[in-house]
Amino acid sequence: MNIINRFFFNIVMLPSSVYEGMGVDTTQLKSILKIKLAMDDRRASSFQQTRAQKNKKPVKLATLGTMFLTLMMGAFFLFSFFVGNDDVTKGTIYFSMYIFMLAATLISDFTSVLIDVRDNMIILPKPVSDRTFLLSRLLHIVVHISKLILPMTLPAMILIGINRGIGGVSSFSFLVFLATLFTIFLINALYIFILRVTTPERFKTIISYFQIFIAIAFYASYQLVPRLVNKAELENYHVGDNFLVWIAPSYWFANAWNLLNNADFSIGAIISLLLSIAVPITSIWVVIKYFAPNFNRKLSMISGSEAGAAPLPKNGKIINSTTSSYLTLVSKWFSRKGAERMAFLLTYKITSRSREFKMKVYPSMGYLVVYLVMIFFTNKKMTVADLSYGSAASKILFISLIYFSSFMLIMATGQIQYSDKFKAAWIYFTTPIKEPGMLLSGAIRAMIVKFYLPLISAITILSLVFMGPAIIPNLVLGCANQLFITAMVGYISVRELPFSHAQDQVKINFIRGLFTFLIPATVAGLHYLIYSFMPVVIILAVLASIAYWMVMDSIRKKNWSNLITTYED
Amino acid sequence: MEPIIQLKNLDKHYGEKQVLKGINLDIFPGQVIGYIGPNGAGKSTTVKILCGLISDYEGTVIVDGIDLKTDPLAVKRKVGYVPELAELYDVLTPAEFLGFMAELYGMPKEIADERMQKMLAAFGLETNMHQRMDTFSKGMRQKVLIISGLLHNPDIIILDEPLSGLDANSVIIVKDLISKLAKDGKTIFYCSHMMDVVEKVSDRIVLINDGTVIADGSFEELQNQQGNQSLEKIFAHMTAKGSLNDAADQLMRAFEN
Repeated sequence: MNIINRFFFNIVMLPSSVYEGMGVDTTQLKSILKIKLAMDDRRASSFQQTRAQKNKKPVKLATLGTMFLTLMMGAFFLFSFFVGNDDVTKGTIYFSMYIFMLAATLISDFTSVLIDVRDNMIILPKPVSDRTFLLSRLLHIVVHISKLILPMTLPAMILIGINRGIGGVSSFSFLVFLATLFTIFLINALYIFILRVTTPERFKTIISYFQIFIAIAFYASYQLVPRLVNKAELENYHVGDNFLVWIAPSYWFANAWNLLNNADFSIGAIISLLLSIAVPITSIWVVIKYFAPNFNRKLSMISGSEAGAAPLPKNGKIINSTTSSYLTLVSKWFSRKGAERMAFLLTYKITSRSREFKMKVYPSMGYLVVYLVMIFFTNKKMTVADLSYGSAASKILFISLIYFSSFMLIMATGQIQYSDKFKAAWIYFTTPIKEPGMLLSGAIRAMIVKFYLPLISAITILSLVFMGPAIIPNLVLGCANQLFITAMVGYISVRELPFSHAQDQVKINFIRGLFTFLIPATVAGLHYLIYSFMPVVIILAVLASIAYWMVMDSIRKKNWSNLITTYED
Repeated sequence: MEPIIQLKNLDKHYGEKQVLKGINLDIFPGQVIGYIGPNGAGKSTTVKILCGLISDYEGTVIVDGIDLKTDPLAVKRKVGYVPELAELYDVLTPAEFLGFMAELYGMPKEIADERMQKMLAAFGLETNMHQRMDTFSKGMRQKVLIISGLLHNPDIIILDEPLSGLDANSVIIVKDLISKLAKDGKTIFYCSHMMDVVEKVSDRIVLINDGTVIADGSFEELQNQQGNQSLEKIFAHMTAKGSLNDAADQLMRAFEN
């Protein structure tokens, strides 16, 4: 146990005699808590999870790493103290960020760390009383949350301590505590809501969509917020101007803090203080009283260990016939019969259903959307007339749109060889496949159809509407360039069969980075230069199409000796 | 002799679905019960009730004179459970995990340490004692699980597919261990799909199907009732809906196009 865990362990075990009085076996309590904290230390935190999934090195001292990251985040929150000129504004922004980040972290931690379903199989058959078990879980949650909120609020505490002294810190701590209770309630309510509307089997999928959403929201706020408000506006910003702000709980906390700190006894401040105290406490009480009993039981089914308890899912198993007929059609158009079509269908279906794949690729789609929104926001003065063919604005917009459109495709193409279920790749090795290149080209084609076809169709329609048929040669050139780059990514980086390898982070990041940003950006720049020289555009469009066709053809012809074809066991 | 485990009219519902429909069993000390049945028959549910994982059942379960509902902790102290799936905290080392188990059973540390060391050594895991289990093979995890069920020297041992993932030599060890434990007066509740093993290790076979006991007796008794055939055949005869021979024939006929 590291020093921090030991510190928290000793703190929560201080009232041992009280626990004993409640009928709790403190020896068992201590050993459960100790083992839980030891395990926390060896598990990648929710910050590290997405990155370090297949890291061969065993995780050590994860607690310290996480706390450091949280501390950095807490320091980032400090910027809220430089916004606006009154404490309510500063506080509202601070508490909003605090609640959001705490919730984001806890959403994943609740399933992966705090409510470990293996407990049911391991601890329940042992002579441990319900009280002891419940208290151990509770104390574990307390320690876990303390490890998050202490570093997260430490920078603000120091700042307030310097500016306002000990009184400011204590009133702030009190409200941080209430805001934490409120956040815990939020997470619980969210979990209960998800469990109500869906089956436990799909729970994890939905939680991972939430994580994707949060990642995108975080990226968006990072990109957009500084652009949307300029510095002068920031300093004079006053949050109370808008009555709607009462909807945000962070406003109550900020107002209440203002009351305690600056002795502002206005009606609004008093109402806020009452709300900040009453809402978290009542909501926690409601959760415990009405939802918790059912909640734990349902949550324990997430593991699937109690499969008998859950009725067969009504929807999941039958594959929607309309999508599959669409799939049959596109697979006929875009792939050759045999191994290629098999790989096409396999890749298309697996990428639609694998949570792991979505977690890796979908956030990038979100980043793209954010980026596009950003382009529009920075060019506020643009009008529809500016979009007509030939204008400078439309030229930039068109080029950036068309070259960004392949971002997802290239991300996805770089991923197709990786899977958690890489062992299932035995199917390629035990079946008599003569040309493994067919498998690659089928997989790449599936990615093109899935991640590029819809986007490029939309772009085509939009540019025809706004710019007219004159755009066609440039459109073809852009599109052919994108496909050519994708095919090159496929040719160079996909040297393993689809879904046949475990993720190897370091190696792919460099190649993928190069292909996703550098090369498309360079090509986009070149395209921009020749945009108006129609004959050049037409010739290059033809050449790029031929190049694409040739690369795809040579992927098809890859034989076993061109591939890294070891079966990873 | 007093039965050590008594199940009386044991019922269990999952919502609308009734999984156990009045199980009645008296199990005596030193017996090795082979508890068999097709998937979904209620085997796992019975086991989970017996070791305290499921508490909302109807009927009575009495273990060594103690009602499971009134004093579950006393019952749990007497029972050692080896779960079916390799459910363990795999970021821990065997020494840490087993030490944790021992503490939950309230064993003195010295005894637990010595015992787990000897047991791990017997399974050939002494060099892996301080390695994290996330690198372990399925068989190695299974060995740790078996040890965790036996460590506190329980009177009743519940084994749910204990041989899964074990290599042939370890299978021999475990089978031998089962008969030695039974000779020592331990009661063993053995759940499995492997009929040949059940046939050999158990001295009483309980066959359940669709939540009820449909056969109960020694292998010889079952043979007397059902004809002189292997347990596999008896099992198929009593639980399969159609003839299994037909299924194989149908499979073969599928080639005829």
